[in-house]
Amino acid sequence: MSCTRVEHVMGMPIVVDVRDVQGHDGHVDALFAWLRVVDATFSTYREDSDISLLNRGELARDDLEPEVRVVLDRCERLRLETGGYFDASAAEPGRVDPSGLVKGWSIERGARILDGFGLSNYAINAAGDIVVRGGALPDRRWRVGIRHPLLPDAVSAVLELTDLAVATSGAYERGDHVLDPFTRRPPSGVLSVTVVGPDLGQADAYATAAFAMGRKGAHWTARLPSGYEAMTVLEDRTVLSTPGFESLADAA
Amino acid sequence: MHRLGKAVSILAVLALPLTNVAARAAAATSAVKKSVWKRVSGPQAQADRWGFVQVSLVVKKTTVGSKVTRKITGITIPVYPDHTGRSLFISENALPILMNEALKAQMHPQNVQLISGASFTSQAFEQSLQAAVLKAKKV
Repeated sequence: MSCTRVEHVMGMPIVVDVRDVQGHDGHVDALFAWLRVVDATFSTYREDSDISLLNRGELARDDLEPEVRVVLDRCERLRLETGGYFDASAAEPGRVDPSGLVKGWSIERGARILDGFGLSNYAINAAGDIVVRGGALPDRRWRVGIRHPLLPDAVSAVLELTDLAVATSGAYERGDHVLDPFTRRPPSGVLSVTVVGPDLGQADAYATAAFAMGRKGAHWTARLPSGYEAMTVLEDRTVLSTPGFESLADAA
Repeated sequence: MHRLGKAVSILAVLALPLTNVAARAAAATSAVKKSVWKRVSGPQAQADRWGFVQVSLVVKKTTVGSKVTRKITGITIPVYPDHTGRSLFISENALPILMNEALKAQMHPQNVQLISGASFTSQAFEQSLQAAVLKAKKV
């Protein structure tokens, strides 16, 4: 039977919606077990996580698990790629907080667990950041609303997607504080940035970086790598989209 | 100005009057409305010595009575010069194009399975549209 489940992991609600008829609770259990391992390893809220040990100097960089090193190396590449606007070390000098990548990275890896069970029609929504595979059977695609940044009960666009990831960054929810790492203040002129692309880790980091850039972030999104598309909502309610984003919305 | 820059300026000029015509036509009549989308591509054009560029447009053609309006709803650049450092520089400075629209609000989205938004915490989740979507499935 297909199944839907919500669990609270990594401080957020994660919704898994499997539409394949062979999908069952065991598959979803495996996904959440992986996410709990990720939380235990990467959480900055847990004193015994690898990241906390690293930040307290109780674990040397060379002794980190290979997967932790992979994530930290990718954070560094993203910092360079975004001109310093995605910065895992911005919050406190000398300490690292890879949370901005860990969510997207772990959901992508979790999707591969479901792929391994032979599932090909499912969606994972991690507090607004999404991976979709196949379609919402019997529909061939998933219809994904992009939350209106000013009206909590409305959407500002509907996309029809298959085999893609969507991430949105904005300042309208409590608990989500993206700062411009150069000024250490909230960015100005922008309400939200949504990025669609093949990998949720990248899409999430790009959305965070573009949002942190403020108004000029929209122009930065016009040069995202091939396969990534973006929509930026400015404070004056202007929407700037890359041409490919428009065509995903047109299909809806 | 090299030819590539010119092509982009022409596009920018082209997009504006088309949009205005569409808006006027929509306001003027309430006759039966029919819209079709078509993708049209230009030829691969040589941009001086920097390489080839090709522009592809998505055009929305709306027929209301005898009035036909066309609006460019998407632009892609399937081929652009990028084979040397110099032409990459030109591409990065000349080609990125963003579509510009006013913010829309759809209050009761139909058949939406998921909502993407800035991270909501577990607490905020209860009030969120995602929760409503899940509940709606059980009605």
